[in-house]
This record gives sequence, C-alpha cells and structure tokens, in this order.
Amino acid sequence: MPDSPTPTSVPADHPFRRKGRSTDGLFRAFFAGNAGLTIVILVLIIVFLVREGAGFFPDYRKELVLYRKAGLEFVDLSRKDLTAHEQMSSLLNRAYYAQVNAACRTEFQRSQEVSAVISYVSDAVAPAQSALERVQERAGEEGVPKELQDSLSAKYKELLAAALAGKPGEGLPPTPHLSSEERRQLLSELEARDPLSSDDPPLVVALQEQLSAKQEQASAPLADFRAAIDAFADASLDLDTLVAETGDTVKATKEAATLHEIEIEKRATLLKAAASAKTEEAKAQFETEARESVTTEPVEFKTALQPVLDRTPDFKAANAALAAALAEVQRKLPASLEDPKAGRYLSAFRKAAGEYERELSDTVPAMAAWKHDAPVGLGSTIMGFITGRDWITGGEWQDFYGIVPLFTGSLLIAVIALSLAIPLGVGAAIYTNQLAGPGEQKFIKPTIEFLQAIPSVVLGFLGIAVLGTILQETSMKDAFSWVPGFPIQQRLNMFTAGCLLGLMAIPTIFSLSEDALNNVPSAFAEASDALGASKLQTIFRVVLPAAISGILAAVLLGLGRVIGETMVVLLVAGNRIEIPDFTEGLGVFFQPAHTLTGIIAQELGEVPFGSVHYRALFVVGMILFAIVLSINWTAQRLLHKFRIGHD
Amino acid sequence: MVSDSPSAAVPAISIENLRFQYGEKQVIHDVTLDIPSREITAFIGPSGCGKSTLLRCFNRINDRIPGARVTGGSIRVAGIDIARPDLDLQTLRRRVGMVFQKWNPFPKSIFDNVAYGLRIHGEKDRSALEERVEYCLRRVALWDDVKDRLKSSAFGLSGGQQQRLCIARTIATRPDIILMDEPCSALDPLSTLKIEELLLELKNDYTIVIVTHNLAQASRCSDKTAFFFLGKLIEHGPTTKIFTKPDQQQTESYVSGAFG
Repeated sequence: MPDSPTPTSVPADHPFRRKGRSTDGLFRAFFAGNAGLTIVILVLIIVFLVREGAGFFPDYRKELVLYRKAGLEFVDLSRKDLTAHEQMSSLLNRAYYAQVNAACRTEFQRSQEVSAVISYVSDAVAPAQSALERVQERAGEEGVPKELQDSLSAKYKELLAAALAGKPGEGLPPTPHLSSEERRQLLSELEARDPLSSDDPPLVVALQEQLSAKQEQASAPLADFRAAIDAFADASLDLDTLVAETGDTVKATKEAATLHEIEIEKRATLLKAAASAKTEEAKAQFETEARESVTTEPVEFKTALQPVLDRTPDFKAANAALAAALAEVQRKLPASLEDPKAGRYLSAFRKAAGEYERELSDTVPAMAAWKHDAPVGLGSTIMGFITGRDWITGGEWQDFYGIVPLFTGSLLIAVIALSLAIPLGVGAAIYTNQLAGPGEQKFIKPTIEFLQAIPSVVLGFLGIAVLGTILQETSMKDAFSWVPGFPIQQRLNMFTAGCLLGLMAIPTIFSLSEDALNNVPSAFAEASDALGASKLQTIFRVVLPAAISGILAAVLLGLGRVIGETMVVLLVAGNRIEIPDFTEGLGVFFQPAHTLTGIIAQELGEVPFGSVHYRALFVVGMILFAIVLSINWTAQRLLHKFRIGHD
Repeated sequence: MVSDSPSAAVPAISIENLRFQYGEKQVIHDVTLDIPSREITAFIGPSGCGKSTLLRCFNRINDRIPGARVTGGSIRVAGIDIARPDLDLQTLRRRVGMVFQKWNPFPKSIFDNVAYGLRIHGEKDRSALEERVEYCLRRVALWDDVKDRLKSSAFGLSGGQQQRLCIARTIATRPDIILMDEPCSALDPLSTLKIEELLLELKNDYTIVIVTHNLAQASRCSDKTAFFFLGKLIEHGPTTKIFTKPDQQQTESYVSGAFG
C-alpha cells in the first residue's frame, strides 16, 4: 500500500463508487429459499412416514398378545396341519387328473375340434335359424305360411353352404386329430341337420362317448390310487370339526375381550370429558354415561380357554390320525406315473411328505408347551412382520402382517423385468452408440426415449387387454407345451407385469447406458483400432469394460424404477397375496402375485385411519422407500466412480 | 515378424500425388514422398499444414472421422495400395502401429495393456503372452519400474511412463512401421529425452515416422526430414541438409525460426 491508509469507503465522485443498491442478495435469497424448501419438504415426508409407521409395531404386538391370550394361536397350531393336509391331497388329486387327462388327450382334442367346427357353423347360420324358430313359435295351429317357411329355409341353406365352404382363404377351423373321413362325415351331418333340432350331430355324441369311455378306461388301473387319495383326504374330517368347534369358542373370547376394551376406552373418554365439562349439569350427565358405558365383565382368559384346552386329547388323536393316513397313503402310492406332469406332482408330494410329517409330529409338543400368558416380545413382533409368510387383513379370525409374499412378488417381477430390459436396453445402447450411422442414431434415440412418455396406466391397460390374452392363448397351443408353466392358468400374472415393467425400464437403461458409452474417451477406441482390433473387439474389450460402472448404474436406476412402479403391477400382476409356488420351477413366473407398491395403492384407500392395518401399510411404504433409496444411492456411487475413473 | 524383411532399398511407404479432404476442405495437395525403411523420418511444419493428417493416412485411422477421405493419388505400404477395397484393414494396422500425441493406455492393468494387441490377434498361451510382454516392456525400458505391479492400473504411471507403455503396446504386435504423432508434446524434457533415446534404439528394427513441432527433436533423432506448409510438401531430404542448407526459402525461414 502507498503512504495513505486504506479509506473505509470509496469517495462519492469516484468512478469505482457503486451506484444504487445491489439486487444480488435478493436473488440469492430467492434461490436459496427454493432449494431449502425442497429439502424441508423431503424431511417432512420422511418424518410423516416414520411417525405414521412407528406406531405399527406396538399396536400389532397388542393384537398378537390378544391372539395368544384368547387361544386363537392354540387352534392355529392344528389348523396349520389342516391346511397342509389339504395341500397334500390337492397335489395327489392334481397328479391323478393329470394322468387321466393325459391318457385321454387325443380324444379330448378330437372332441374340442369338432365343437370348434360346430360352433363356427352354428354362428354362421344363427340369423336364419333363430328366425325360423321364432316363426315356428308364433305360428299356432294353422302353421307357418309356406312362402315364409320356404324363404327362411332357403336363406338357412344358403348360409349353411357358405359356412361349410369356410372362411375365404382359411376354410373351416382345422381338425388335425380327425381323419378326413370323420371330417367329411361331420360336414355332411351338419349339412343334413334339421334347422330346428337342437340335438348334437351323431359324430359329436360318438366322440363324447369315446372320451368318457377312454376316461373310464384310463382311470380303471388307477382305481387303487383313487381310493388311497380319497381315504387320505377323508382322514382330516375329525380335525376339521374339532378346529371349527374350538375356533368358535376362542373367537367368542376374543370378541368379548375386544368389546370390553372398547367400552373401557369409551368410559375413559367420557370421564375426561366430564373433568373438563363447563357446567355441573353436563358433568353429571357425562359421569352417568361413563358409569353406564361398561356393560361387560372383563374376560377371564384362563377360564374361557379351559374348554378348548380340555380337548387337547382329541387334538392329539386327530393329529395321530393324520400321521397314520400319511403313512398309509405313502405305502399305497404308485411308484411312478407315466405322464411327466403327473409324475412331477407325485414327486412333489413325496418331497413335501417329509416336511409335512415333521410338521405333524411338531404339533403335539408345541401344543403341550403352549401357554396363553407367555409374553409377546417387540422383537418377535418385528421379526413376524419381516419374515411373516401371511398377509391376511380384514378377516374375522386374526389379521397377520407378513411382508414376505409382497416382497417375493416385487422381487420376482423385478427379475423378469430386468432380464427383459437389460439385454434390450444395453443392446440398443451399444448399437446406437457404437454401430449405428448418424441417421439411425437420430431415429433410434428419440424413439426409445418416447417409450417413457407412455403413461403407466395405459401400459397396464395394454397388458390386460392385449399381452395377457395373447400370452394365455399362445400358451394353450400344443407347440409350446414344453415351456415350463404353460398352459398359463391366470391371465394376469407376474410375467405379464414383468414384461410391461421391463418395457418401462428400457428407456432409463438405454439412455443412461448410452451416456455411459458416450463418455468413454474416443482415444481408447482409437488406440484399439490402431492396434488392428475389429469393431466388435473394440466394443467388447475396451469400450464396454470402460463403461461398465455407468451401465451398472443405469441398470440399478432401471431396477429402482421397476420396484417403485405401482400402476402396472396393480393392474396386471394378478394381486394374489400368496408366496408363489416355487415347486413349479420356472413356471413360478406365470403365477399371479401382489407387490409392495400394489398393496399400498390397493388397500390404503379402504383402511380405517389410524388402524393397525393403516400403519402396517406405512411400514411397507417405509421399506419400499429404503429399498429404492439404497438402490439409487448405490447407482449414484457407481456413476461417481465412473466419472472420476478417467481423470 | 514379417517373412519378407524389407530391404533398405525398397521404401517402406511410398506416397504418390496424394490429395486429401475433410468434407469440402482440401488439406493435402499432391504430396509425393518415399519413406525409407529402418530409418526415422520426421514430418515438420507449422500447425495445420497437414502433416498429422498425412501420418494418419498410413494406417487409415482417418477412416474413423466422418467426411475424411482421400480424393486422389495413392499410398503404398509394402508395395500394396492401401486404398484397395479388399485390403484387410486389421492386418494393415497390425503392421503399421501408431503412438498418439496424448498417451492413451486402456483402463486396464499394465500387463493387459501390452497383451491387448496379442490377445485380439488370437494369442491365448499365457507363457507366450508373458514372454512377449516382458520383452516389450524391457524394450521401452519400463520393465524394471513396473515388473512388481503388472496387475495394477496403467493410470498409476507417470505421463512419460504411460507414453512408453503405449509404445510397448504398439511394438507388441510386431509392426514393421511405427507412426508417432507428436509423442513428446505433452511430456517434460526428461521424459522426452528418454523417448528420444528409445526411438534411436528402436530404429534398428522398425521404420519410424514421427510428426513433431520440436525442431531440435527432429534434428536430434531423425535421418530424413520432410517439411510441409499449407498442405504441400515443400522439401524433403536428409535431416542435416534440411537444417543446414535447404533448397527452399520457406524451409530456411521455418527451420531458422522466422515463423511457425
């Protein structure tokens, strides 16, 4: 600094002097306010989620305590065996019918093909035929006027001839399992049919007879098997009655206890109102009401439960009967069944038998060890939520909130979606970025990104109306019977939902992968080219490895989108709250399921505000939030690593 | 190694009346030049004179650039016109290696960088790969520095080391010709010196063409020098002649530092 000290302000007439007040501070405050508000809203959302959800576990615990005290849990010990028994007999029944139906497959197809032809022809002649029927009905005694009768008959004949000639270019529905003679016979029978008769043509009757004869013939050697299945199924009758009877008792206990609690609560509310009442009169009124509000005695759980516990020997006997039936049926089962599907069911039964037997033998000790007043810990409540296999709500018996079926549904759908979206999205990105010409690039990129613009509800509609139907019809075809899970039982299933979600994830995965590939310095590809690498070698050995973390991030963000998507799964996934049956192998993907997102969307509108169920849905929301957050966080980390990788 | 070892008499690269365009812009005008085998030829000239473009024609790496094309004349490498449509570009590039201005090792380990060229040409034998990698790294005087960390990323090396790694990567595929596009322009003087020593050592086995802005470097290392100006070859000949008594006035002005 020169000799003079630094002045505190610029002299008024100096050109450096600032003119007027600066608006910089104002702008700064505006933008800071925007950023701050967004963050505050995010924090509020999280706080809200946690507050609503946090009350769930104590409330659920209270319900579980009542479930135990009233003895519902005791009855459920046996009811579980009953359910398992039903599943086991249903496996046997499926094996039996698969075997019988497989033997009659040809007859069945013949009969179906004939029906297809007949229904085609009947549809074609329907106008003339119904007209004939109507005039016949109204004709009365003097009969139908001859010219009307003739003209309608002529019309009928004309339509019939046209129908028998078949659709232009396609002909009549195909009948590959009928001999040409039979087909000719069918057509001539149809031609000769009286327009007013509702009898089936003789060939149809004959074929149906053939089918039932074949069915009888096929089931004859299986008669022992059938008898064994029926005996096994009947073995549960005793336990069934027992569970129903004791179930009524414990349910009554639970209801009484619930009612009493409600009354107590009401009294407390009234007393509180009385304490803060303004006039003496009102206070007295409230107090009277409070005295009258409790009409029931508190429930003596021990006494109420005694009649149920007294029947423990009956339970034991029924349990032993089930075990005996299992041993019996295993002895009588055929060693193997010819039909592969039937064989699969049979071996599934054999595999499950060990598990079922263990379950049965566990029941009696569990009943002996069971105590109605054992405490329910908060930890076991939380575990019950996380590892629970049942999500049962709105029932009379007991509500259970177990997240496993929903989680499995979400996970399986995500697996399908990603196995579709990764190859398509990444493949398209590789093509667009590395192999396509500039013209193709200009076309492909906006087109794929356009997929994102389709509202998910429209996609869901497409899934229900088009994809589900096409898939199911395709799965009925013989040519695809080798595909696991075909023919598909449910039109709406995880596979359909997964396909649509995959479609939704493609733009995300494509765009981000394309960016990642684009960010690979061209010097790498140039060096590889200069070493004499082919285009594909350069792509797969240099460019793709260099972009891999970016592509992984793209896939993860796609996964986040798939897990968080609601509308499509709600519409298309079939919404069955059950853990899918993994014994079907890959066919598991063709079963319906419910998801974490779908359950919230479906049930939140219907639950009473503040109830346990309501809070359970919030906990599901929290879990969903945590999953998607961690997926996105990992993706961001990967992207960051990718960006600094080349510095 | 190539079976028909080219003799010094036959030029490694011969260019005839070459014309080259980027889009509508003509950047090389009728260049005719023979590049002798087993020698270092330096291309000098001010920026934008087309010397790098010409170099990048020799292995047709310019094909990567949309709109870049040869519009007349020919380039023969080992006697074959490389513009022929039935030419196997991958084999050409294997025999005409290239080192770039900015070192560009792959985001792989040191070993994998050197082995890359061998692997893409089908070498799978682990011991053969190891042997060749060691040979190449020794050749560029990098072996002692990196032999203990062959598995670590190439990005951990210094700039000069990375450039030498790129040279090792280039010679791994046994080229006849090495093209160098200003290999030292981003290096410090000490690293530059090491690369220059390496060049002199390599020229016994390889034909080297180097583009440089550094006139001192050209005069130190090269046997032949070609001076380009505005896309034309002004003069070429033995390096000593170009730097001491060139025929052309423009060359004299450039090498004496009057412009450029």
